[in-house]
Amino acid sequence: MTESTTLAASVHRNGLLSRLSAWFSQERVFRWIPFVMVEGMFILILIIPFALTIYISFLRWRANRPFEQAYLSGLRNYESVIADSGFWDSLGRTFYFAGAAVVFELIIGFFLALMVHQITRGRRFYITILLIPMMVVPVVAGYNFSMIYLDSGPLNQILAPGLNLFDINPRIRWLSNPIAAQWAIILADIWQWTSLTFLIFLSGFSALPPQLINAARVMGASRRQTFFWVELPLLKPAIVIAVVIRSMEALKMFDPVVLLTFGGPGTSTQTVAYYLWEQVWQFNKYSFGAAASIMLLIIFSVLIFFGIYLIGRQGKAIERGEA
Amino acid sequence: MAQIGLKEVVKKFGDFVAVNGVSLDVHDGEFLILVGPSGCGKTTTLNMISGLESPTSGEIIIGNRVVNDIEPGERGLGMVFQDLALFPHMTVFENIAFGLRVKKTLEPDIDRQVRAAAEAMHILPLLGKRPAQCSGGESQRVALARTIVNDPSVFLMDEPLSSLDAKLRVDMRTELKALHERLNATFVYVTHDQAEAMTMADRIVVMNGGLVEQIGGPLDIYDKPASRFVAGFFGTPTMNFLQGEIVAANGALTFQCEHIEHFLAENTPDSLAGKQVILGVRSEHVVVNSGGQQGQVKLIEPLGDVSLVFFESGGQEQLVAKVAPELRFSSGDQLTFGFQAAKCHLFDFDSGTRLN
Amino acid sequence: MSTDAKQALQIANRRRWRRTVVRHSILIGWGLIIMFPIFWMIQTSFKDAHEWVTWPPHWVPQDPTLKNYEQIFTFDVQQSGVAREATEQPFNIWGAVADSLIICTTSALIALFMGAFLAYGISRFNVGGGKFRHSVLIIRMIPPIVIAIPLLMYYAIMVPLASETVLGFRLSLFDTQFGMSLLYITITLPFVIWMMLSFIDEVPYTLEHAARIMGAGRLYTLRRVVLPLVASGMVVTFLFVFILNWAEFLLSLTLTHPDVSTLPVLLNKFQSASEGRLYGPQAAIGTVITIPVVVLGVLIQKHLIKGFSFGTIRK
Repeated sequence: MTESTTLAASVHRNGLLSRLSAWFSQERVFRWIPFVMVEGMFILILIIPFALTIYISFLRWRANRPFEQAYLSGLRNYESVIADSGFWDSLGRTFYFAGAAVVFELIIGFFLALMVHQITRGRRFYITILLIPMMVVPVVAGYNFSMIYLDSGPLNQILAPGLNLFDINPRIRWLSNPIAAQWAIILADIWQWTSLTFLIFLSGFSALPPQLINAARVMGASRRQTFFWVELPLLKPAIVIAVVIRSMEALKMFDPVVLLTFGGPGTSTQTVAYYLWEQVWQFNKYSFGAAASIMLLIIFSVLIFFGIYLIGRQGKAIERGEA
Repeated sequence: MAQIGLKEVVKKFGDFVAVNGVSLDVHDGEFLILVGPSGCGKTTTLNMISGLESPTSGEIIIGNRVVNDIEPGERGLGMVFQDLALFPHMTVFENIAFGLRVKKTLEPDIDRQVRAAAEAMHILPLLGKRPAQCSGGESQRVALARTIVNDPSVFLMDEPLSSLDAKLRVDMRTELKALHERLNATFVYVTHDQAEAMTMADRIVVMNGGLVEQIGGPLDIYDKPASRFVAGFFGTPTMNFLQGEIVAANGALTFQCEHIEHFLAENTPDSLAGKQVILGVRSEHVVVNSGGQQGQVKLIEPLGDVSLVFFESGGQEQLVAKVAPELRFSSGDQLTFGFQAAKCHLFDFDSGTRLN
Repeated sequence: MSTDAKQALQIANRRRWRRTVVRHSILIGWGLIIMFPIFWMIQTSFKDAHEWVTWPPHWVPQDPTLKNYEQIFTFDVQQSGVAREATEQPFNIWGAVADSLIICTTSALIALFMGAFLAYGISRFNVGGGKFRHSVLIIRMIPPIVIAIPLLMYYAIMVPLASETVLGFRLSLFDTQFGMSLLYITITLPFVIWMMLSFIDEVPYTLEHAARIMGAGRLYTLRRVVLPLVASGMVVTFLFVFILNWAEFLLSLTLTHPDVSTLPVLLNKFQSASEGRLYGPQAAIGTVITIPVVVLGVLIQKHLIKGFSFGTIRK
């Protein structure tokens, strides 16, 4: 039906070009072409490699041997991943890093946004400054912190007067102590990504309808009551989004580990991303890496679907509230 | 040649039936108004005429051709939208010129035609401005000028006045009516405002739930509503409705409900005796201080030229009467009232269709 | 009575004043913390070798020099010197700048085109169903390491193998600008779709209806009505995606070496140097990488607030 329509419409203007543009103007072209293109990219670059990975995860193969020598070995790679304490330790560590970093980022970001929302003078200036860390390339951020944590770096210099009091040599090698190194990475993450939670909360605050807050104030609610009973519930979508997005991003943590500690001292700062990277690129354990990737994806997909579900539910709630 | 015909047109969105078999004819040069509550399918019907939606089944005919498969731009229509849909990034001049540019009109012709249309709508000084700089009434005129300049034989309007304030809206009604007279084109106009429909239309199509309830001239519809829905939709205040039974006594039919007994007009068909009905009577047909019913005044709304008296008659239903302003009541007063027998409407209790 | 009221007002004013001061000082304090690492990098980039590691460290270079910048920009493969020793591999900043620029720009442009197109379809025709809007974010949430391993094998083994058997020549995506661009397009598409959706949703559909009633075709309507209204949004999206690509590290580290190298990978090569670290040149590279994106970021910052609301702002 649409085909004949287009032809009928283009009878009076001849030429391939106008016929082409008439074909292109159909609604179904608009429906399908971009969809197919984008899905095609996803299939080509993501889905096919994944299928390949699933296949390789069943192989016994190291990348320093020719691919032809690989042979199917059933679930052996999965067994060795499950038995591998390094994998589970690094996974647990990743959740620990992400959890600690995200909690601080949410709290600090929230209060910064609240404060910027409440002041009138200098808002734009503060927003500009506070958003800068987000723009800094993570690798550069990692490098910056490696300078700051240096034993002869500014951090030690600032702490020196206090440390001297207790007769401690102020030239502490922060990154050589497991716990200090872990917190060094967490701090670097907080430095960089608090600006994102700040941004999300700030847009949440600026979307609050002032007439609702005025209404609550007129009805005699105190500043505190207004905040807890009116503003906070209205900010729920922003909070959910900040939590989901930041948790997902923090679980990917890789760049600061490479730049600051290389997973060390020992394995104390290995995140799961770093651990897998090392297994594949240092030790050439490709099929092991493939099996671990699949397992990681399964573990993460539970989180991802939960996150998407939360965001989708917020979106629906907003639409409902609007209707 | 701008008559429009709809034949058994159905539009479904998934499982939702927006328009459920609508047939109607719009005569050449007519001002037809589709009216109904929101969600009744009037806008969908208009969009199918315009081609922005294609019907699920049925035929749409403009002039002499079936236009189901014809692009909106090739149907020779002009349309004014509820939000006016002025292009915010173009000046008023460019907005009006848009349709001419699409048709690749020559530049001097564009200038001449745009100016003519702008002059007709008294917006010449606005041509250099952007829509955001225009007031509500001015934007309205720009939207009309943009439609007029393309010289369509059919004008479609989707609640174009709803964004204006009350005073301006009343002024624009007159202006639209004048525009219709001058252009001699077919107007199909959608609104949910019954007063707008009454004042402008040659004919009104009342829609409800995707169906046509009644088609007719404004006064036909007011005086002889085809259903309870139409009766309730037209007129302010809303018609009084009483639920009761028709009883035959002494060779005459009476309407009886809990506290009210009313003799029906003589031409009421005898076959209605014993039926459960709804009696409808407009406030201006309630006679106060005569007639045999007792009531107690609850509320008075003086409008200046008339006063509305809301009263109760023992039962639950509140009734309203339009009385001369000289009659002063106050809340709690007792009054007597009756209905003008010839002006009473009877509707079937179940289906709501008109019985007399 | 009136003095009491005056006093109360005074107290209230003082309290408000104090609250404002507290807020500003906290914000300024956090601002200083934020700016410190960047300040440290920039000042280090102007230090000569003997000042890189001193105790106590110098907060301001005592004899500022442009040597570091000179070094990083004039090095080439033949020259031997500190950087050559440290990286133990050919070091070519101009190559990395070119690679980064080409990969980031082309992939951002193509992703913008495809994503905007699809966002239009989603906004107007609900392409992909009601849940597509949200589910497209899934791609963004997959950890890159999970993609990196399969991609390496795919790019380095499977694609060459397949192209050889099917097309008759070896097409390798590994260590090529083309391969990196394809990947960046794919992983940034979800963001493009999200951001463009928020811009396109704001253009009323009736504008297009009006244009089409006046006889304009779909393409004409797109070009004359929709595009001008979302143009600024497209610029913002482009810049944002460019910044994302510019900063990406893990995947380019995995999929490029030795021919192609993006700037973050180049910086990392210095870090992993075995013979002492070259803090100065590293700081210079860091500054060179950072300044353009921070400037871009500040430019689009106002729009980011909208783009990052993820639909929580509705007018």
